[in-house]
Amino acid sequence: MNGEGPIGKRLLRKEDFRFLTGSGRYLDDIEAPRALHAAFVRSPYAHARLRHIDLTRARGAPGVVTVVGGAEVNQWTAPLRMAPPIEGLHPVEVATLPTDKVRFQGDPVVCVVATDRYLAEDAAELVDIEYEPLPAVASFDAALAPGAPLVDDALPSNLVSHQTFTAGDPARRFAQADRVIEAVFGQRRQTHLPIETRGALAIWDEGRQHLTYHNPNQVPHPLRSTLAARLRLSESQVTVIVPDIGGGFGQKIALYREELTVAALARHLKRPVRWREDRLENLLASSHAREDAARLRAAVTNTGTVLALDLALMEDFGAYCFYPANYLARVVAMILTGAYNIRDYSFDVQVALTNKCGNGPMRAPMAITSWIIEGTIDKIARELDLDPVEVRRRNMLRASDLPYVTATEQRLEDITPYETMERAIEEVDYAGFKRRQAAARQEGRHLGLGLCVVVESTTYGSAFYKAAGIPGSGHEAAWVKVEPSGAVNASVGLMASGQGYETAFAQVVAAGLGIDPAQVRLHIGNTDVAPYGMGSRGARGGTAGGSALHLAARDVADKVLKIAAQLLNLNTPDQLRLAGGAVERLVGGAWEPTELTFGAIARTAYLDPLRLPAGLEPGLEAHRAYDPPPMTFSNATHVCEVELAPATGVVHILRYVIAEDCGTVLNEMIVEGQQHGATALGIGGALYEALDYDADGQLRNGTLADYLVPTACEIPNFEIIAMHTPNRRNPTGSKGMAEGGVMGAIGAIGNAVNNALAAFGVEATQQPFSPEYLRTLLRGPLLSLSRI
Amino acid sequence: MSKVPIRLSVNGEAHDLLVEPRKLLSDTLREDLHLTGTHIGCEHGVCGACTVWVDGRPARACLLFAVQIEGHEVTTIEAIAAEGRLSPFQQAMHEEHGLQCGFCTPGIVMTCEAWLREEPTIEETEIRELLSGNLCRCTGYQNIVRAVLKAARRARGNAA
Repeated sequence: MNGEGPIGKRLLRKEDFRFLTGSGRYLDDIEAPRALHAAFVRSPYAHARLRHIDLTRARGAPGVVTVVGGAEVNQWTAPLRMAPPIEGLHPVEVATLPTDKVRFQGDPVVCVVATDRYLAEDAAELVDIEYEPLPAVASFDAALAPGAPLVDDALPSNLVSHQTFTAGDPARRFAQADRVIEAVFGQRRQTHLPIETRGALAIWDEGRQHLTYHNPNQVPHPLRSTLAARLRLSESQVTVIVPDIGGGFGQKIALYREELTVAALARHLKRPVRWREDRLENLLASSHAREDAARLRAAVTNTGTVLALDLALMEDFGAYCFYPANYLARVVAMILTGAYNIRDYSFDVQVALTNKCGNGPMRAPMAITSWIIEGTIDKIARELDLDPVEVRRRNMLRASDLPYVTATEQRLEDITPYETMERAIEEVDYAGFKRRQAAARQEGRHLGLGLCVVVESTTYGSAFYKAAGIPGSGHEAAWVKVEPSGAVNASVGLMASGQGYETAFAQVVAAGLGIDPAQVRLHIGNTDVAPYGMGSRGARGGTAGGSALHLAARDVADKVLKIAAQLLNLNTPDQLRLAGGAVERLVGGAWEPTELTFGAIARTAYLDPLRLPAGLEPGLEAHRAYDPPPMTFSNATHVCEVELAPATGVVHILRYVIAEDCGTVLNEMIVEGQQHGATALGIGGALYEALDYDADGQLRNGTLADYLVPTACEIPNFEIIAMHTPNRRNPTGSKGMAEGGVMGAIGAIGNAVNNALAAFGVEATQQPFSPEYLRTLLRGPLLSLSRI
Repeated sequence: MSKVPIRLSVNGEAHDLLVEPRKLLSDTLREDLHLTGTHIGCEHGVCGACTVWVDGRPARACLLFAVQIEGHEVTTIEAIAAEGRLSPFQQAMHEEHGLQCGFCTPGIVMTCEAWLREEPTIEETEIRELLSGNLCRCTGYQNIVRAVLKAARRARGNAA
């Protein structure tokens, strides 16, 4: 639908005025009369038996209304049972608050409710909990060691999930191979770090027996389903209202135990209860991510053809499963072969529970997949003394190979990895890099260049969920209503946390109706208003939500034109269209105006229904749902050039180019913003971010002064080359995006740094590539150099 | 804890308040004065979301107690586009897509507005240093840098 009016235009955002002037409305900005404030008492131990909880002193503290633990809250709420029928995945159950033992440092144990936040925190100091510390497991290896203490006493071991898979005949291919090349990769534990922390405001209406729940959550309707079920309320007794969200990145999807506790307390106390966690809690106890390790073995010929791959993937999932434990690792393994023609493939994926904060999906939960495959390709090139681009060319899918069904039965079509790679390397003068590198070396400077070809899985359809055994769906729903004045309201089940939906989706609806996007207002984040949708996650907003809105707008437009045909005394609307807020008619091959405006037809539809064609109902609205294919793919190539300072281990990014094909874009400016943000997040993980636990499960860097995220000084300017080609399977032509940047950054930085390190004969295998880590690798080689 | 009376001057208006001595300026602005544009992101002085001006200079509202601010003038984000018209820097942020979720934005506006009112350079490295005290998790900073550059160029153009 390129060229259809406002689609793709760099329309400035409708959201901006309120955010720029401080008049946005985030959770903590909502006033609620008589609201009480909750504060949580958290375990100082990674693993401990709860011997005794004495709430007496806290209950007597100034301003305190109540103090409760699991003994009370678990009476008011149902536990979370996570038991999808997935082979190799153990079912687990989590109580709202623990009563027997705590499983990680930061585990919430007691909730204090007081008249203000300061008093609640004062009283939290007075809660007396007697712990019996237990040995903790703080790493994947420790969790699976013989005799390791159990994180979840109900499981036979800490191996909560284990799946294997084989396609083709990898064993035979490995036997045939000239060489077997093995590479290892690891990412440390990260966290999403939205600048707005978690929180909730629960208001219980005792007369109506109704809960209004304000919560910054990316998936309002699934949240309502879970919240109602766990409070043992009907879904008609709960309204979820999502205000502006100060960043989510996947952290704001699950119903957290603190948030459920707050809702239960509001109902119990019959008073509004609010909670906003502080940053230390957010770092320690919200949701963590990644901390995965992989070993990939590649069977290759001497000329660099990859015959087969064998992946072992291990993830440290933390103490609790707020998602099925195989949820994230599964996709890594599923899409590993990326842009390459590799039919013989096997994987072994293990996920372990440890005494750390539970993991969840963080923007591009499958991100390591790009580094694994692209880092392995680079390693093959190094070991065989081939050019890494040549190895890619030798194995990569071309347009003529598509559609291509991968070893894991993913259908790749309408992707352009080869084209983006060629364009990106041309842009950076790849051919001249070796010369530049050698010249820099003469000056004592160490350059590295790395590329990463990304095939990004997006917009998981309901068929994906069905095949994965995960309850839920991948469809999205929307409505479009034209009011009698011609004003247009629209809604979708997604929730924005910075993606500019109010602008981009106004463009989609306006395109369908032939009107100005300024006339369209999007209403999201209220479960009584929006249709039941699956929310914002997995790069699905534009593709799934945009398509549902597009279809609804088209339905409305069809009705408008039917009415117009009747008013113009035409037999059919075939020669009519909507443009510029009016009806146009095809006369002699040219579109000519009619006297009918969009607004006049809207008035007729509502206020003069006797003039409507026979069989048409009064009113002008449509409700549509759209279920995308099992998986949609977009693609990109990232190339980055870095300078490594061997004396300090500091990596400086000199140049960063992204050639991307994410299909039809709804708003080019917003898409570029997402590319910047995703890539910056990836750079954070690749170079800086790591939650540092000691062997006893104590977090050692739980402040923002210690957990390093990139500032403006660390992130380069990105040069973006748009190479978008439409997706024929999607009504808007869109392919989904906004996670691939993370994937590209992890791989491109991984390869660029290793390209620079190759001169020293060492290889960096664990991100972040912090100065400390790189210095550890370089110390030996530099010492031997100095002896020469 | 007993409350003490203070007189706080915010955005040119004097307010007589009763606050606990331990109450943060950030909480006082948000809860007592209902100026919720000042956001709280870390409460330990790192993220910069709560940046306001104290006597015209940027300061972290989460690192100050309200009682310390008697006799000083506080300016918050609400005073920047007080007439409903965006300042040149806010307008540049809008045009350059320098914000996504918007949560860090008020702090960034307060940091950059103060800088732009002095003698702004158009050196990108200096602008990035200026921004290094404000964390943004959405944008990757590039478009914020462009907005600062644009506003600085406009300011220099006007001055010349």
